[in-house]
Amino acid sequence: MKAMTPESPVLKVEKITKRYGSKQVVREVSFELNQGEIKVLMGPSGGGKSTLLQCINFLVIPDEGRIWLGGKEILHSQKKDLYEYRQKVGMIFQDFNLFDHLTAFGNVEIALLKVRKMSKNDARERALAELERVGLREHIRKYPAQLSGGQKQRVSIARALAMDPKVMLLDEPTSALDPELITEVLSVIKALGADGMPMILATHQIEFAADLADEIIFMEDGVIVETGPPAVILSQAECARTREFCAKLTGLYGDSR
Amino acid sequence: MNELIFIQQDVLPALMKGLQVSVMLIIPSGLCGLALGVFVGALRVYGSPWIIRLTDAYVVIFRGFPLVVQLFIWYFGLPHIGIYLTPFLASVLGFTLCSAAYHSEYVRGAFLSIKRGQRLAAQALGFTKLEMILTIILPQAFRRALPGCGNEVIYLIKYSSLAYMITCIELTGEGKVIASETFKYTEVFFIVGLIYLMLTSVAGFLLRRLENGLRLPGFDHYNL
Repeated sequence: MKAMTPESPVLKVEKITKRYGSKQVVREVSFELNQGEIKVLMGPSGGGKSTLLQCINFLVIPDEGRIWLGGKEILHSQKKDLYEYRQKVGMIFQDFNLFDHLTAFGNVEIALLKVRKMSKNDARERALAELERVGLREHIRKYPAQLSGGQKQRVSIARALAMDPKVMLLDEPTSALDPELITEVLSVIKALGADGMPMILATHQIEFAADLADEIIFMEDGVIVETGPPAVILSQAECARTREFCAKLTGLYGDSR
Repeated sequence: MNELIFIQQDVLPALMKGLQVSVMLIIPSGLCGLALGVFVGALRVYGSPWIIRLTDAYVVIFRGFPLVVQLFIWYFGLPHIGIYLTPFLASVLGFTLCSAAYHSEYVRGAFLSIKRGQRLAAQALGFTKLEMILTIILPQAFRRALPGCGNEVIYLIKYSSLAYMITCIELTGEGKVIASETFKYTEVFFIVGLIYLMLTSVAGFLLRRLENGLRLPGFDHYNL
């Protein structure tokens, strides 16, 4: 990681476009993510945030556009490259998507065994260490159905981190959680940011965004409407639509923390 | 009294011999049928378009042809192209292929019921398609398919009686032989029926044990 020159972006995305039928869900979106940088995606639901994040690791294959990780262009048609690339891009989902048939420990361990082909012992140690890091050491034997939402999301973060990702994509990681559980997940994400993990985070948590983001990207109807540092976007955005949206969010969530 | 002696001395020994053959038919047909059914079911969901068409056609044919006709084809038809199967092998082949066609439908339904998020999560971690199916999707889908597949196993136990149509003398065949020798159709077939009932009960019990053993927290319905 350190070998990378500071000016070369960790992740570079160029003119990503995704259509469903005649509807363009994501339209020519480009940006660069630098080492240690955190970008927050904001904007109304249906604005293309999720699709964009899923395009970035090819869970949704974009119709057009190019993607580079650490200077290397990723071609999704090269299966081997694609699988390797996805290991390096951690993804956190709104509804956790833990594997229902595995315990918290099994959820973290399985990819270490099956994808990274680690030995049983190494995988075990790593999985335990990651679960410890998100504060779930005493819950490792529980199945997803026995965990609270916040615990589930922390397991999914541990699962992603165990792969040693170079960058993390977080798709509204706290939107399915009730207010009391949001904090425990946000503090894990915050700690990750403090460790220098580059992240792209879609969220409606406006204070959290203001606190953490180096840059806010405001997206609507599949296009980037505006980008800028949080102080600018949240209080004095150029675009009226951005201002209106942020004002509403502040009204909704602003005082909740 | 005569009846009891007749049953004890003539009927039961013959039926026990038949039962042995039946069990020998049912166990390999059941296991191979389930394994092939899971495989075909997976192909019908995750295969390429051509594989899907091919496996769908297999299911249409093997669910569509009466099982007796299938057995006749394996036993009487194959010799025309130089393949000679013993009655026993022809029966196991017929049962396996028919059973797998039905299993594959239960398995397909189970595969389709697994939420998309499970796949996305596996893909995002860098799983290959095969690894994802084997380690993430199948363990969950199999649990969901099990009640249906168990149904098919119970059914197989009973349609294994068709083997006697191609001279593989199993439980029903032995019963038929004794019944026609003694004209005691009612008594003999009543006992034959009871033995099948016993077999299906044991199978039902074992399947339920398996289901309970594989049950996951969060998917139990004890208190509904």
